[in-house]
Formats: sequence, structure tokens, C-alpha cells
Amino acid sequence: MRTKLILIIPITFLILFFYLPLISIIHEGLWDNGFTLKYLKAVLSNSYHRRIILFTIEQALASTLLTLALGLPGAYIFAKYDFPGKSFVKAILTVPFVMPSIMVALGFILLFGKQGFFTQLIGRDLGILYSWKAILIAHAFYNFPVVVRMVSSLWQRINPHYEEVAMSLGAKGFTLFRKVTLPMLLPGIFASSMLTFIFCFLSFSIPLILGGYKYATIEVDIFTSIMTLLDFKVGSALAIIQITLSFAFMYIYIKSLDMYAKAEEQRIFRQPQKLTLKELASLKGLLIGIYSLIVFIFIISPLLAVLYDSLIFQGKFSLEWYRRVFSAKYNPIFGANTLIAIKNSLLFGFSAVLLSTTIALIIAYALHRWQFKGKNVFEALVMLPLGSSAITLGLGYIRTFHKPPLELLGTWYIIVFAHTIIAYPFVLRAISAVLKKIKPNLKEAALSLGAKEWQAFLKVELPLALGGIIVGAIFAFAISIAELGATYMLYQPEYTTITIAVYRFLSARQWGSASALSVILMIVSAVSFMIIERIGEEIW
Amino acid sequence: MVSVELREILKILGDFRLEIESLKAKEGEFLTLLGPSGCGKTTTLRIIAGFEKPDRGEVLFNSKVMNEIPPYERNIGIVFQDYALFPHMTVFKNIAFGLELRKLPREEIEKKVRWALKLVGLEGFENRYPEQLSGGQQQRVALARALVIEPEVLLLDEPLSNLDAKIRERLRGEIKRIQKELSITTIYVTHDQEEAMAISDRIAVMNDGRIEQVGKPLELYYNPKTEFVAKFLGLSNILELEAENGKACLGKLCFNVDKDGKVRIFFRPESVYITDGDFAEIVHYELLPGRIRLRLSIEGKEIMAERFLDELPFRVENIPKRVGVRVKSFALL
Repeated sequence: MRTKLILIIPITFLILFFYLPLISIIHEGLWDNGFTLKYLKAVLSNSYHRRIILFTIEQALASTLLTLALGLPGAYIFAKYDFPGKSFVKAILTVPFVMPSIMVALGFILLFGKQGFFTQLIGRDLGILYSWKAILIAHAFYNFPVVVRMVSSLWQRINPHYEEVAMSLGAKGFTLFRKVTLPMLLPGIFASSMLTFIFCFLSFSIPLILGGYKYATIEVDIFTSIMTLLDFKVGSALAIIQITLSFAFMYIYIKSLDMYAKAEEQRIFRQPQKLTLKELASLKGLLIGIYSLIVFIFIISPLLAVLYDSLIFQGKFSLEWYRRVFSAKYNPIFGANTLIAIKNSLLFGFSAVLLSTTIALIIAYALHRWQFKGKNVFEALVMLPLGSSAITLGLGYIRTFHKPPLELLGTWYIIVFAHTIIAYPFVLRAISAVLKKIKPNLKEAALSLGAKEWQAFLKVELPLALGGIIVGAIFAFAISIAELGATYMLYQPEYTTITIAVYRFLSARQWGSASALSVILMIVSAVSFMIIERIGEEIW
Repeated sequence: MVSVELREILKILGDFRLEIESLKAKEGEFLTLLGPSGCGKTTTLRIIAGFEKPDRGEVLFNSKVMNEIPPYERNIGIVFQDYALFPHMTVFKNIAFGLELRKLPREEIEKKVRWALKLVGLEGFENRYPEQLSGGQQQRVALARALVIEPEVLLLDEPLSNLDAKIRERLRGEIKRIQKELSITTIYVTHDQEEAMAISDRIAVMNDGRIEQVGKPLELYYNPKTEFVAKFLGLSNILELEAENGKACLGKLCFNVDKDGKVRIFFRPESVYITDGDFAEIVHYELLPGRIRLRLSIEGKEIMAERFLDELPFRVENIPKRVGVRVKSFALL
């Protein structure tokens, strides 16, 4: 019983740094000397905000469809076939998980802008940048690997007997797929679509940077309402609308995830078919090759564009941008020098890792191993932060922590707390995934052999969960390093991070400096990527 | 040596209700909990181990109440159906786990692990990982790991049910041998009645959260107290008859029951002998290796008989339509 008291740590943290800010937003938006709906009505009757709300949902839907179109063929190829270079393509698919969105946005600017590589290559501006097209493509970049992994993992677990029975009864070709295979894949397709949809619904950096003035989302709208117009009432009303919608989506997602988990539990694991040389030379091999190439170009080209741009100064190959960026001189654009920004990024990153891993580990353990009163409520409460957005969180922090007794605004750790809230749901997922695989009777065996609860945890469960914990920690680090919205709303000049600095350079249209700094981000992310690859733990 | 006793145990798990008035395994005894899946036998074992707390009642080891003692202080050894070997440790490490927690010196640990490996016949497998072993080998490691700490009680939860038939039969003999050698009080859970009969000193038959009957294997087999025990332990004949003057008769087949009124008479197929005669009609027969199983109809009621072929008063090639029948032993339900 006493060990369960440890739950006080995550619960207190969530109440203080998630639920209190959430309540303050609701209070701000629905209260004016008493309960009022006038701010909500004002927002909903304003055609500008209405259009933005509609666009947010539309772009999320369209992004999800594009993501599926790109991801499903990959899921099929990965589930069915073994071909040379498969593990390489698979590794490339992990890259978007750890690549900061600001860097990807910069890459898109460099590729599709007026002077961009693709624009030059084709000879005319396709009008991709600063429109909905760029938003959709960037969202697909982030999410199609999720579809590939979730759906192919399910595909491999479909018992071949189902298809064989259907074939013996006369089903073949597309009918076989539509009537037997597809229904069994649906939980995977649906769950990964919901995840993509929520990500696109709440995404901030991509519409902010790539959408231009015309294509704002709710997230961007809240951000401008608060940071530019200083209108907290409208910002809060928008945030309430966003939260309501995203919690509803979250609910659907969690339900779909249950179905997915049940379907994935199947013990069957079909070995992918090894393609012979003859098959590789046929149409099949060609299509696989083309798909792999598209994946490679799609994922790698924004990164290469950034790297290339950072090395070109006034049309010549040079390290000038790096020299400028690293000169210890005070940098007027973001009010600190680069070394401090790097130091801040690392400090926030490691602190967020420590905090979010601790919290997620305690929560995951409680969810999977303990029975207690109110567990359902507890589970819902710890899952909700996944449905909140960075900007909403930032807004809530500004409202909650600007006055005593919790006057924390302007401290560095308030940024760490925000990063922790944003990151821990992902850590929780990684740790839950491994804990679920560890059979509870291993702990019982240890107990019967004389291990106390904590010894059984340390000697048996922790070593077995270590892979998932490390992967979760790296997620937390990557998320913290890349976080823009909440950090921007909470930071002081002396707490500038690399991501903030890149954004400042982007706003000032200094692409070269932005690229050079982004390469530093890229290096950090690449290290994360290699650790994940080395550990090789399934990520979701 | 330790005795294990349960007193007035009640455990409610959702819709399921486990209720045990009293159950005792004597010092050094091999007691089996036998029953269909979902009857509560595993829950009973987990209550003895301390993984589940009873809602009411007491668990006693040598008359000492153990309810509040955590599993790691009960000095038990347990083997699970799926073995629960630690996948990140070698065979040696797995077996040494409990000894290391007891802070034994290095040489002693090595000596004891070697003893345990020899006991289960797995010398030379020290450095393998569980995934490199066959199911039967994993089973032996799990047994060695449970025994090496010299537990006072050994708890086995369907330890053989994941193995194929031949290995199962060999290992059950070995478990029995080791248990006798160490004379360790053992509680064994299984749903396989043949396994239970072969291995146990006594069996407690469980059904739907209750203990139906406790007794020696043959006692349960030939003198079951309830229809459930009768049917669970093997093929059975149950006749509901009206007795007069201490005799219950089905046509010419009579039983001396020493009481009057309604009686339920139970006997096994192998208690039914075939004689010359004509009051039983052979409805159907099945030839088994060396044996024959007959379905006989007497006065509209069917009974089953099983005999070795050379005990028949006729030849298999020439089976008559009607025979006589004698029941050598029976019991009243």
C-alpha cells in the first residue's frame, strides 16, 4: 500500500502544470463577473475565426488522406516482402520522429520557395509554399511512417488461414482483399488515421511557417490573438473550442487504439516473403524500388536542402554562416549568442527527459500492475494531456503563473515543465508498450524467490523495460529540443533555445543562419535517431 | 517440513466466488488441486503463495497464520504454467537469483546451483538463455530455480500442460521422484485427472469455486461423493433406482444397498463383467487396443462396460446380440 503513495508525484505535477492552467483558460474564456458565453459566441459569429476553425479540420482531414495514400502501399510492401535494402528504408522511416518540425519547414522553404531547388528544377513556382499544399505535404512527411508501421505490423499478424479458407471458398483478388483482409486491417488503418488527424489538428510550427498569412489554423490563431493582439479573452475562447474538439478526437483515438491493441495481440507472425532475383527484376520489384526511392527523396531532401544551404555563402561553398552563427558576439536577432542557445536547449532537453521519464514510468507501472479505486478516472486524467496543444498550454501557463503564490513565469524551469507535459504522453506510450510485454508472473516468480517488491522491480522488470524507457526518453528529448510554440510564449531572451533562434532567423528571412543552426539541431536529432536504431525497440 | 492449511477462505473476483471451508496438506504430502478451468484452483494456489489476499479466512503454515506475510517471506517455491524464467538472465543466473537475494557467498551459490541442475538433469546448460531451451528444459530450470532455495512449500501451477504428451509423462515421474527425495510439502494444480491420479498422495477435486471432495486417488475414483467427481475422474455409470428390502434391481441386475427408497448407484465401466446370459442387449461396441468398450441396454437403461478382450466369454469375431452382466463393486452417490 505504501508504495502506491508514489502516485502522488505524477498526480500533483499534472494538477499543477496541466489541470490548473486548463481551468484558468476555461475561467478566462467563460467568466466575466459570472458565467458568460459571450466570448465563445463572439468567436463563433466572426467569419474570420469560423473560417479558421473549418480550415483546421479540413486540412487535418486532407492531410490524413494524403498520409494514408502514401503510407498504405508502404504498409503492404513491408508486411509482404523482404527485399534488399528493406532495413535501410525502415530506418529512414524513423527519421521524421526525431526531426524538429521547424527544420523540416525550413527545408520546405528551401525546396519550394521562389529560389528553391524544385522551383529551379521545374522552372516555375508551383505555388506550394505559403499555401495549404505545403501544409499537407509537411504533415504527410511526419505521419506516413506511423501508418506504415502500425498497419504493416497488423498485416503481418493476420492469420494466413483466414485468407486460405476464403480462397478455398472461392474468393480471390480484390474480393478477397475487400471481404477478408481489409476488415482485419481496419483497426490499424483507423487508429493510425486518428493519430495523424490529431497531430495535424494540433500542429503549430508547420502552418505557422508554411501556411503564410492566408492559411492559419486554430493553433496559429490562438497564438496571434495572444502574442500579437494581446487579446486573452478571444484566445481563451478559441482554446476552449480547440480543447473540446481535440478531447473528442482523443476519445475516439483511444477507443480505436483498444481495438488495434486487441487485433495486434495475435500470436501469429507471418514472415515476409523473400523476393527472388527474378521477381526483383519484374514489375513488382520495380514498384517496390520506386516506392523506396520516393520515401528516400521525400524524407531526405528537406534535410539535404538545409545542409546544402548552410554551406553556401554568396553563391560559393563556405563555412561563413557557421562562423557568424558561432561568433560569441551578442546576436541582436534573438538577444543571446548561439552557445547559450545550445546550452539552453540541452538543459531543457535533459531536464524534460528526467522529469517526463520519471512521471511516465510511475504512471505506466500503476496502469499495468496495480489495481486501485478510481483507476478508470486516473487513466483518463493521465491520458488527456495528449489531446492538449502547446499553444493552449502556453496560454494556460501565462494565465496561471503570472501571480503569487505560483509566480513562475520567467523562470527556466517553467519551460521544462511545459516540455514535460507535452512529451510525457509519448514516453508513457513507449514504456507502456514494453511493460505490456513483460509477463506479470516474472515479478511473482521473483517475489517467491525472496525478492521484495522494489528488488523484483529493479532486478527483473526494469532491465526488461529498459529499451522502451530509453526510446521514450529519446522521444522526450527530441520533442523538447524541437518545441517552439509553448517555449516562445514562456521564454525570456536569456532562455533562447536553438529552435527559437532558428525561428527568429526565419522570421527575419535570414535563411543561411537559420540553416546553419538547423544543422546543429539535425546533428542532435541524428544522434537520437542512431540510439533508437541501435536499441531497435518497436516504437509504438 | 511444513503443513499448509486453509480455513474458511472466501475470495470474490467479479462474478466468481471461491469458498474453501477447510483444506490441509500434511507435512511432506503431495496434494493436488484438480478441476476444470475456471474452478478456482489457480486462485487457491495464489492465495497460498500470497499473490492474492483472501477476503476472509486464514492461510496457515504449521498452524502459523500467514495472511499478512508477503510472498517473499513465506519461503515458497513456485513453478508457473509458462515457467516465467527471467528472459534477460542465463540459466545459472535464473537459478542463482533467490540465493543471491539471500546474500549467500559465491562458492556456496555455485555449489547449490550445480546441485539443483543435477537434480533436474540439466548439467552443462548454465550459460544458455531461456529462449535457447526447449519447453521441457525450461520447465526443469523453473523447477530447479524453485527448489534451490530449499523452500518449505512447493507450489506447481499446471507445470506440465504446455508440454507434449511424452515429455509430460516423463517429467511428472521426475517431479514425483524429486518431491519424495526432498520430502517437501507440495501443492500441485492440474486439470488432467490422469496426471493427478499418477502423481498425488491426495487429490482435492474442485468445481465452481468449491472443493467437492478430498481423498486418495483410488478412493475418489471408486467412491466419489458427488456426480461431478464421478464424472470428472473418468467414465462412469450412474443408475437411479428404487430399492426394496435393501435391494435395488434393474431387471436381473441387482445391488445390495442395505436401504430402501430412491438410490443413486455408481460404478466404473471396468467393474462391469460380461457373463453368459441374455438380459443385456449390446447396443454398440468399440474396439480399443487390447480392450473392448460396450454400451449395454438393460430394461431401457444404458450402462457402459470395459473389459480386456481375453476376459470375454465370447470371441471378438463373433459378438452375440445379448449377454449377461455382473457388477463387482459399486458405490452410492
